[in-house]
Amino acid sequence: MTTVAEHSLRARGTRTRRILGRAVSAVIVLWACATLIFFVQILMPGDRATLLLNQVSGEVRTRTAAELAPINRQYGFDQPILVQYLRYLGQLLHGDLGTSYQLARPTTEIILGQLWPTVSLMLAALLIAWVLALAVTLATAGRGRFRSATGSGIETIAAALPQYWLGILLLLVFSLALKWFPAEGDLGPRGLVLPALTLAIPIAGFLAQLMRDEFTRALSQPFVVTARTRGLRERQVRAGHVLRHSVLPAVSLSGWAVGALLSGAVIVETVYARPGIGQVLVQAAITRDIPLVSGIVLVIAATYIIANLLVDLAYVRIDPRITTS
Amino acid sequence: MRRRIAAASSLAVLLASGLTACAAPRQTESGTTVHGGRVVGGKVVDGVLEYGHEQEPSCLIGGWVQQVYLMRQFLDSLVTVTADGAVKPWLATSWSQSPDGRSWTFHLKPGVRFTDGTKLDAAAVAYNFDSLLTGAGANSTAQAYLQEYYAGSRAIDATTFRLDLRKPYQPLLPVLAQGYFGIQSPAAMRRGASANCVHPVGSGAWIVRQWNRGQNVVFTRNDDYNSAPSTASHQGPAYQRSMVWKFLKDPTLRYGSLETGASDVIYDVPTVDWAAAKRSYAVQRYITPGRAVSLTLNATRAPFSDERLRRAFAYSLDRKAGVDSAFHGAYPYNGDGALSKSTPGYDPRFAGTYSYQPRLAARLLDQAGWTARDGEGYRVRDGSRLTAQVVYPAGSIVTPETVTLLQDLQSQAKEIGWDVQLVPATQSAYFAGEYSTRTSYDAMTGYWTSPTAGVMYITWRQDLANRPNSANIAFYNSRRLEGMIAVGNAAADPAQRQVAYSSAQRYISDHALAIGLYAQTTSLASAPDTKGVWIEQSQGEPVLSDAYFTGGQ
Repeated sequence: MTTVAEHSLRARGTRTRRILGRAVSAVIVLWACATLIFFVQILMPGDRATLLLNQVSGEVRTRTAAELAPINRQYGFDQPILVQYLRYLGQLLHGDLGTSYQLARPTTEIILGQLWPTVSLMLAALLIAWVLALAVTLATAGRGRFRSATGSGIETIAAALPQYWLGILLLLVFSLALKWFPAEGDLGPRGLVLPALTLAIPIAGFLAQLMRDEFTRALSQPFVVTARTRGLRERQVRAGHVLRHSVLPAVSLSGWAVGALLSGAVIVETVYARPGIGQVLVQAAITRDIPLVSGIVLVIAATYIIANLLVDLAYVRIDPRITTS
Repeated sequence: MRRRIAAASSLAVLLASGLTACAAPRQTESGTTVHGGRVVGGKVVDGVLEYGHEQEPSCLIGGWVQQVYLMRQFLDSLVTVTADGAVKPWLATSWSQSPDGRSWTFHLKPGVRFTDGTKLDAAAVAYNFDSLLTGAGANSTAQAYLQEYYAGSRAIDATTFRLDLRKPYQPLLPVLAQGYFGIQSPAAMRRGASANCVHPVGSGAWIVRQWNRGQNVVFTRNDDYNSAPSTASHQGPAYQRSMVWKFLKDPTLRYGSLETGASDVIYDVPTVDWAAAKRSYAVQRYITPGRAVSLTLNATRAPFSDERLRRAFAYSLDRKAGVDSAFHGAYPYNGDGALSKSTPGYDPRFAGTYSYQPRLAARLLDQAGWTARDGEGYRVRDGSRLTAQVVYPAGSIVTPETVTLLQDLQSQAKEIGWDVQLVPATQSAYFAGEYSTRTSYDAMTGYWTSPTAGVMYITWRQDLANRPNSANIAFYNSRRLEGMIAVGNAAADPAQRQVAYSSAQRYISDHALAIGLYAQTTSLASAPDTKGVWIEQSQGEPVLSDAYFTGGQ
């Protein structure tokens, strides 16, 4: 028989082990990302020193050994790949993301400078996605065949929309034709609407599809019958009782959605010419700016990890059974 | 729950009202754009001009025409050219050439200063030429033009500068009108390439205030500007106090930016919107001289090492129909592969040499032994297919419309039996030299902007081990061809020069070394209330220092 104190100690030990496990897996994920991005960049065709010289001079030219030697020395390209890799990992271990080849500024400084526009875009998109998904689910799920089928159709189409095409379409309709929103140049809330919608609509399609399934299932549960017999109105039953049971999978998907939003931001920031790390990542990839590409990818990976952790916490909050089990 | 719904509704209303508040239009009731300026003599000046450009280079100075567009805003050149090719004064008020043609003396405008306060005198100009052509500030395009000719520079006195050449180079003046030869502050150049890349300093109408990468370059007015070219609409500082040069790569966004009033002027009007733009905006078009966008054929490996196959390929393609269709009639077809039709010294006689003649193409292929066809309709010989790998630098040099054109040509060529494989070169691979070798393509898509037919000396000079020439992308080494162009560059007599250039053009055409597609084009569209924008005539850069508004404030 175990005492309460022993039980408490064991629980704490389990929690510590779980946290440690998570930390170790986070480090492994980050290391794998850093390694992958390093070798992808290294193994891409073309000489890196030539690229650096030609990008700056704006000309495609075969460079002489005398031109290439100082660049190779400066960036360590003349070292064996393993040495370059170990040096790169060593820098990362010291928390140094390196200095951008093209921008000649610390990667951390560049990322921090570009973080907020992307984060605000993502948050706005996530919020809009949830609002749209909830609205479609509440309005159509379990409300007769026609409405359900319409809602389901809208979700499938929304989830299938390619973001580049959607961005151009929204731009053509709401900016060029109706002139409701600016095409570019407005970094305030008004300028955020179309980019955020572009990101949000496909995500909303996925979220709503999941929510609808759970919602329909929950509607046939006994507690719904109980709620109705207590005289609650349909709206109260749906919003107050059924919804809580149907959002869990969608909450779980939101962890994935953060990643999807970040990769979507690359497209959206390019289409709408908005500042942000998506736009910087595209430029860095084009110019093979390894420190900058790997720095941004590591930030994205870290965001993924944190988002999934937050999703786990949200689970506990929404469904108390998870804590007790 | 009802309280929560009420709270959510309030939040939504608040957000919506916030959006509406921020939605205050940038336009007055009459529809004119707000620029934040003041009215002086009927012109709105001291405002902010917003310009929507396309490509963003990796450095604000350099040897790419996309860098020249920016350089023109903050650098002044020694001379400028007009639409008919006449050379006019800029920093140099007059000039003369020595009888042997090897020395050029320029008399400079006195009292000009760079925006860092240092003097723009003959010593500064001499430093620039030394640095651009042989020193730390080397500009690869400037070198491509002059390195072989350059002997040295001398400041004779504060306002007299002499440029010495090893041999006569007659296209010198129009060549110097290009932004690559814009005069920079020596003090700024000495800071090194990194600083100069981001914060270059000239004596031009605008000062680089800040480069927000991926977004824009913010320029402020040079209030002490006293060195506008003689071709400018007005002398003195720019009319507007600030200019925002935005990078709007997506064509829909760029045109939308003009339509919604976020930009006052845009570059490269999407061809699909060209007709509509002509109705609603003030549009300008500049057909860039130099080498037109062409398919240059790799003469060192099969199939195009065989001249018959080069000619057969050219006859296989209905290029004019392809260009008209892909660019909606907005870009001019340029049949000549050596020169753009707007180049001073261009000879129009060879533009139609390779008109679309599928039967002749088929006959040439039959004669070369490519008679059989495989199951997919491609010609085969000795078990191998008639294949041509056409590389195009996607995203940097080639636009989506060009890709449409190439796809059209690909299907035309298939009719004759060619297996044309289109290979998009990423910007990274292209600039890294992945497609600079003799084994990396059969045909390359590209152009070279230049105000002289003498550009052929760059694009066709032999590529030799002791004198490499990366711009000879046909890898075609002909002493005879090089000699013809060199004679043209040296000839003092314009008629003699024309004969030499024409014979070089004929040679390139006769040997089917390059197939012309369309002329590289600069187009600008300005909002109805934006006046005074003009296009520089050596490279096609927008000039924004004369721009003013006519609308409300």
